[in-house]
Amino acid sequence: MKFDVRSTLIPIFALMALLLNHPAHSDGVVVDKIYHPYIEAMEQEIEWRSVWQDQQPGQENNRVLSRLAYGRSFGDRWFGEAYLVFAESTERSLELEGYELEVRHQLTEQGQYWADWGVIMELEKEDGADIWEFSSGLIVEKELGRWSATANALVIQEWGSDIDDELESTLALQTRYRFKPYLEPALEFHSGQDTKAFGPAMQGNLRLGIRRNLHWEMGFLFGLDSESPDTSIRAGLEYEF
Amino acid sequence: MKYIVPRLILLLLFAVPLSARSGPPVITLEIRDHLFFPDTIEIPANQKVKLLVINRDDTAEEFESFELNREKIIPGGAKAIIFIGPLAPGEYPFFGEFFPKTAQGKVIAR
Repeated sequence: MKFDVRSTLIPIFALMALLLNHPAHSDGVVVDKIYHPYIEAMEQEIEWRSVWQDQQPGQENNRVLSRLAYGRSFGDRWFGEAYLVFAESTERSLELEGYELEVRHQLTEQGQYWADWGVIMELEKEDGADIWEFSSGLIVEKELGRWSATANALVIQEWGSDIDDELESTLALQTRYRFKPYLEPALEFHSGQDTKAFGPAMQGNLRLGIRRNLHWEMGFLFGLDSESPDTSIRAGLEYEF
Repeated sequence: MKYIVPRLILLLLFAVPLSARSGPPVITLEIRDHLFFPDTIEIPANQKVKLLVINRDDTAEEFESFELNREKIIPGGAKAIIFIGPLAPGEYPFFGEFFPKTAQGKVIAR
C-alpha cells in the first residue's frame, strides 16, 4: 500500500506547530475523548465519560470531570449531542458544573480523499455562573492500512461577567491500530492550558444485537512537563442504538 | 509550432480537470431480499475503488466491515457511495448489519 509521507504528515505537523505555538490555551481538564469525523445515519446514543487527573499546580487535587449525554444523528452528515457536566475533587463533592450542546458535521466521504474531514462545534454554559464557552474545530483522520491517525484541533472562546474573555486552543492526536472490533490499542497526545500529556489508550465495540452496540474507551496519559497533571485517566461508554 | 503556447494552456485547462474527474473505478453492488448481489467482488489490489450500493429492498440496510473499516447505512430504495482501498491483496468480508445472517459478502483484492 502506497503512503505519501509528505502529503499526509506535513499538514498534520503544520497544524500541530500552529496550535502548540498559540499563546493561550484551554482552562480546565484538557485530556478528553478524541473525536472521529464519521457520522452514522439513524443512530442514537447514550454516553458517559469521565476524566480523572491527580496532582496539577494551581488546580484541585484528584479532579474528576464527568459527562452524561444523549445524542442522535440527523441525516448521514450531522450529529447532535446534549450533555450534563459534573465535577468532583478532593476539595468538593460531586456537583453539576454545566450544560453543553455539541454538533458534529462530516465534511467528506470516508476514503474519498487523502484524509477524512469533519468539524465540531460546542456551546457550554457553567451552572450558576455567567460563564460561556464556544469551541469549534477540525477533526481529521487518515487511514493507513489497519492504522488510523486522528487529529482534533479546537479553538475556544470564553466569555461572561464571571470570567475574563479569553481565546484558547487545544490539540489532541491519536494513532490507533484496528486489531479486533472489541480491541483497538492506541497512543495519544493531548495539549492545552498547562497540559501536555502522552500515553496509551484503547477502545473497542461490543455488539449487543442488531443495531445495538457498546463502545468503550480508556486512556492513561502522563504529563510531559511540571505544569501538567502527573497522571490523567479517561474512560467512556457509549450505548449506540 | 504556431499557437503552441495557447494549445498547451488549453490542454492543461481541460486535461487536468478531466483526469481529476475520472476518479476510481465504479463497482455496483445491489441489495435484494436482504442479500448482496454479487456477494463476491474482485478488485485490483493497491487501488481505490468506488462501490455504488443500490438497496432494492423497502427496508434500510447497513454495509459493515471491520476489515474494510467501513459502516454505511443505505435507506430502503436508496443508493450510497462507499470508497474502499487501496487494499493489500487478500479477502475482506462485509455484511449487512440489519440482516447479518443472510446479507454477507466479501471483497477480494488481487
